[in-house]
Amino acid sequence: MSEENTARSSGSLKINGERKKHQGTLVAGEKGAAFYLQKQQDPFVEWQYDQMVQMESVRVSETALEVTVVLQDATKYVFNLRQGHSVYSHMDKHWTSKPVRSYTRADELRRLAELRGERIQRPKHHLIRRRHPNRSIAGDLGIYLMLIIVGILMVFPLVFMIGSSLKPLDELFRFPPPVLPQHPTFDNFSDLLVTMRQSWVPFSRYLTNTVFITAIGTFGHLVIASMAAFVLAKYNFPGGKMFFGVVTTCLMFSGYVTGIPNYLILSRLGMVDTYWALILPAFAAPIGLFLMKQFMEGLPTALIEAASLDGAGLFRIFWTIVMPNVKPAWLTMMIFSVQGLWNASASTVIYSEAKKTLVYALQQIQAGGIARTGQVAAANVVIIAVPILIFVFNQSRILETMASSGIKD
Amino acid sequence: MNSQSFGSKYLTMRREKLEHGLYQAKRNAACYLFLAPYAILFFTFFILPICNSILYSFTYYNILEAPRFVGMQNYINLILQDEVFLTAVKNTFVIAVITGPAGYILSFLFAWFINELPRWIRTIAVIVFYAPSIAANAFTIFATIFRGDAYGWFNSILMEYGIIDAPILWLLDPKYMMTILIVVILWMSMGTGFLSFIAGFQSIDNSMYEAGYVDGVRNRWQELYHITLPSMKPMLLFGAVMSITSAFNVCDVPRMLCGYPSTDYAARTVVTHLFDYGFSRFEMGYASAIATLLFLVMILCKKAISALLGRVGS
Repeated sequence: MSEENTARSSGSLKINGERKKHQGTLVAGEKGAAFYLQKQQDPFVEWQYDQMVQMESVRVSETALEVTVVLQDATKYVFNLRQGHSVYSHMDKHWTSKPVRSYTRADELRRLAELRGERIQRPKHHLIRRRHPNRSIAGDLGIYLMLIIVGILMVFPLVFMIGSSLKPLDELFRFPPPVLPQHPTFDNFSDLLVTMRQSWVPFSRYLTNTVFITAIGTFGHLVIASMAAFVLAKYNFPGGKMFFGVVTTCLMFSGYVTGIPNYLILSRLGMVDTYWALILPAFAAPIGLFLMKQFMEGLPTALIEAASLDGAGLFRIFWTIVMPNVKPAWLTMMIFSVQGLWNASASTVIYSEAKKTLVYALQQIQAGGIARTGQVAAANVVIIAVPILIFVFNQSRILETMASSGIKD
Repeated sequence: MNSQSFGSKYLTMRREKLEHGLYQAKRNAACYLFLAPYAILFFTFFILPICNSILYSFTYYNILEAPRFVGMQNYINLILQDEVFLTAVKNTFVIAVITGPAGYILSFLFAWFINELPRWIRTIAVIVFYAPSIAANAFTIFATIFRGDAYGWFNSILMEYGIIDAPILWLLDPKYMMTILIVVILWMSMGTGFLSFIAGFQSIDNSMYEAGYVDGVRNRWQELYHITLPSMKPMLLFGAVMSITSAFNVCDVPRMLCGYPSTDYAARTVVTHLFDYGFSRFEMGYASAIATLLFLVMILCKKAISALLGRVGS
């Protein structure tokens, strides 16, 4: 049995209902488990998980566990383990094809009492139970209450905005203004389309521009920044650490601070008033690289070393081993990139009407003043809907991948 | 052992060392190849502008004429003569000191609380808390909420309950501006750092908590300090960098809510000042000097925080 990925727990073993208890350590590995007597190198008993017919665990106290294992040759081992939880779950995890029963000491005593025909005292059923032995109920309730209050405060402005976008004109200027519309209409949205249609360029053109910029920028950023993050995270080469330090520092500087020199560089490269003025800087966004590198450091180095011993080249390791294993990170990266590009108004680098982004076009409508209050709210709803929807979609994927990826070094 | 076998052994050793060196060099070359596309773009669009900024800060430069070297003149004017800049520094400092740490701590606390929730509520909670910062322009709704006439939601509520008699110009009166700005910025502060905390909490191995429980971790606060915080260090530093960024780079919120320029410059921040000189007056040298000072302060802040985080949980 290999030493990697094992969980051990000390305790005693009884074989086939013998009275004698053997003291020692139970070691559970990937494929099988073994019991070592104290100060002995060779296993006392050893089995593979596919030899097990039955496994039961009884929780004896908070920290002790009684695990019964029955093998195919009808040998029965009864272990009494201290802190045996991880050993048990380890055996359980690698023995998925067969049913595992697990119950507490109280259940066991109740079953025996029932067999003896005694009257059973059911424990009191509490309305609210502790989630975890080290979590107090009062603390839980406090947290829930706080989350609800702050959650409502967080969501109120957004609700107000969506409400305003659905209000007919008379409700927009009513005293006191209602938060939610009494007679919701989509007038503001259709007015928005009418206003947009009056401009030189059709609405769909702005949308296509933004979608194009967002899609290309995000894809390129994902590939280029992940490649850099991979070598920075997993290889030691001269200059790597320093480069990453510089990227981390640049994380702090916003677009305004570097705005004008950036414009001068773009114009020297002849990229002003093209999509590239938005896309190329987005490829090099420091936040994606930073995030990816932090996540890749958590990947087991053994995984990569095994592949290099098999003779895989750097690119193959990156593409077939590393990338599939960092899905959560690249989904997160996508969110940030999409968020940045979708919301980019790019008013300083793009002039031609036909190349303007959606946000820029909508900001021009917002400049229309108080008469367009409803349309502005509608425009805002259109702008925020897409990043939020993309986030909602990806967020569930992230939770999913996180739960099933199971790479924990 | 005779000398010949020793000699051949030595040669083998030399060859192996050479081969290893060759392998190393080949791998390094591959590493640089992987890094190159990113590094080139990064240099062009991030390093070069910052270096240019620092160089321009010692010049008079209005884009039309070539930059003219003026030494430290920009910095001297900035600190000794520009009173608006001092207001901007004061405002930025107040905003950064309040919203930076508060936003950071709140992000962490709420990420932690949310992590305690059952899975399906957790998903909703993450969306609710993160939505304000992902919806970039959504804060403009505060202009409607705090509108100065009686149709502003906040004014009308206060008048309805008889707390005030006449509407207050929330966004135009210097008395209230900063408070409202801070509220709005805090509302938007559950940003990237918050998301990173959520992901970080979920990547902590459950068996660590089980082990901690066996070792006598009594309540959630002990668990937080002894188990969660030490395993979250990378995310904590990332969150810190993100909150420094948002705390010092406040620009859009005051510009869109309080007007540009705001009454008596009461809502002016360092970045709006920079924006004013860079994008409206085209005094690039002066704007670059502001930018350079800002770089310096932010880098110092980050240094201090990483030193502080190094001691967490030890």
